[in-house]
Amino acid sequence: MATTSSTGAPAAAPSLTFTRPVFAKLSPHPYLLLSLSPDESSSTRSRRTNGRAPHEARPIQINTGSLSQAHGSALVRTGDTTVICGVRGELLPVTSIPQFRPTPSYENADDEEKARKELKEYDLLVPNIELATGCAPQFLPGVPPTTLAQTLSTRVYSLLHSSGLVDGRDLRVKYRPVRPPQDTEAMEEDGQEEEEEEEEVKAFWVLYIDLLFVSFDGNPFDAAWAAVLAALRDTVLPAAKWDADREMVICTTKEKGKKLNIRGHPVPCSAAVFLEKADQQHQDKGRHWILLDPDRLEETLCGEVITVVVDCEGNETRVRSLEKQGGTVLGRELIRGFVGVAEGRWKEVVKAMG
Amino acid sequence: MADRRRINGPAGATIPPVFDEDGKQYEHKVAKIRDRAPTAIRKMFLKTGVTPSASGSAYLEYESSAKSGVSGLKLSCTVHGPRSLPRSSPFSPHIVLSTHVKYAPFATKQRRGYLRDPSERDLGTHLETALRGAIIADRWPKSGVDIIISIIEGDQDRETSKFQGDETWDMMNALSGCITVASAALADAGIDCVDTVAGGVAALVQDTSDDSTPRIVLDPIPSEHEKILGACCVAYLPIRDEVTNLWFKGDLPASDIDLYTKLVESGIQASRNGNRVLVECLGETVA
Repeated sequence: MATTSSTGAPAAAPSLTFTRPVFAKLSPHPYLLLSLSPDESSSTRSRRTNGRAPHEARPIQINTGSLSQAHGSALVRTGDTTVICGVRGELLPVTSIPQFRPTPSYENADDEEKARKELKEYDLLVPNIELATGCAPQFLPGVPPTTLAQTLSTRVYSLLHSSGLVDGRDLRVKYRPVRPPQDTEAMEEDGQEEEEEEEEVKAFWVLYIDLLFVSFDGNPFDAAWAAVLAALRDTVLPAAKWDADREMVICTTKEKGKKLNIRGHPVPCSAAVFLEKADQQHQDKGRHWILLDPDRLEETLCGEVITVVVDCEGNETRVRSLEKQGGTVLGRELIRGFVGVAEGRWKEVVKAMG
Repeated sequence: MADRRRINGPAGATIPPVFDEDGKQYEHKVAKIRDRAPTAIRKMFLKTGVTPSASGSAYLEYESSAKSGVSGLKLSCTVHGPRSLPRSSPFSPHIVLSTHVKYAPFATKQRRGYLRDPSERDLGTHLETALRGAIIADRWPKSGVDIIISIIEGDQDRETSKFQGDETWDMMNALSGCITVASAALADAGIDCVDTVAGGVAALVQDTSDDSTPRIVLDPIPSEHEKILGACCVAYLPIRDEVTNLWFKGDLPASDIDLYTKLVESGIQASRNGNRVLVECLGETVA
């Protein structure tokens, strides 16, 4: 057979006449396996099909504040995965919360904890991920959200609450009522209460966090969360006041808006485990590779996926969340080692966030 | 019944923020004036290949006007196909176009839901008509192509649309952008077309400043004008000199019969300008 161009995989048989993309499409598993395990003789290191080393993540680019209609926005790009996040605040008057109980302010001791409960109970954070934008051939519009889109939204939602990223106190719109003059006679009888007027919460900001994938090439959760984090840090809610006469919340552009107080920098780091044997039964015997920041091809070939969310603020690494699905390769030792990898990724992402 | 596949947020209705300046805006409105020549369109940025996994894709951005709060249009388009139709669909001797236009929830002043509303469907239909005239459809029998456009940011002023009544004028600009970006994405996907089709908008506007004589401007921004009497969006093939889609809306004075023709001609002019950008962008892609 005539010699062909050297576009075939490095260790491929000489009779291989396919180009790389064709080979990748026809038999993806051997294709990835061949690139990961080069010949013993050659000096080439183990490379993935996308040219990265197994522990190499794609560089991340973060751009904030490019949308003018949203209160906060971010565009995140890692390799060919591009996601846009827009945060928009809308007001929820307490009158339209059925289970609302005004909490008296003398319980101030644990205000932060209370604010956190409010976030959860009144559902003030609404993240949604839209994949059906044609960002990859399998995500076409006109169908209900896929399982992946629903899972991603839920994961972002639960991480938002569990990490305590948003301070619930920022979302309250408070009002200190002015005692109407008719009451003065009644008030004179017990004079102490006259000065101290309690601040009451009249409305809450609800943050709609909408994510739109422009381009999808694997590892959606890391990119989506980075976009959420960057967009929330960029968010400025307009100054809002309760207008007692009109009984509604009025915002103003004269005063400067309120920047959200975002606690910490939790950053997720995902990896997939690629097994030498494609079938599940013999997986103990074969070699395996941990592929950091997997792309679309790798994701389809890997059953076992791990996501670690770390926050290394102040030189102290905290694991905020750990998720692992499928497979039996990653044990205690490997996961511990992976946290170290996640620390490295944290530095990259925080640096990109600026 | 709420959509259970999405996170819907609180049960009670949320209200978009209301600003105290809203009432006063009405008088200040005229302060915004168009600083471009009537025959000049806004600068635009067009790039193909933003979504590598799609057959073809393009991104279009209009320059936002100098005033803060007025956003430029930002569109992202992906083309998937040509690919075989599902088995259940009937035989088609031509390529089956399916267009899908969706505003992102954060694209406009009011938050959009995830389900397509009628105006988005309308945009999709207009887009399909505009493209059908350009694609050589009988080269791909029994196949289909999906054209999906996400409007990342609408062409809308922060505080317009309230007193102007409706969003129709914004939709015209959006459609013209959709046509241009879809044409670029189709070319990027390598789907044969007779010519590059581009959209253009012309409007008959009335400003208080210039003696209240209506004049025709290209690529209007609704917030820059006191009143828009009529507008038309044209999809035009420059080499064949054909119009594939014409969308006209408004109320023209009946006395001037030429006005209608003039308006369409101006729309064609705007489309030609857009086409120049399109061809240049595609030239860069090929090079």
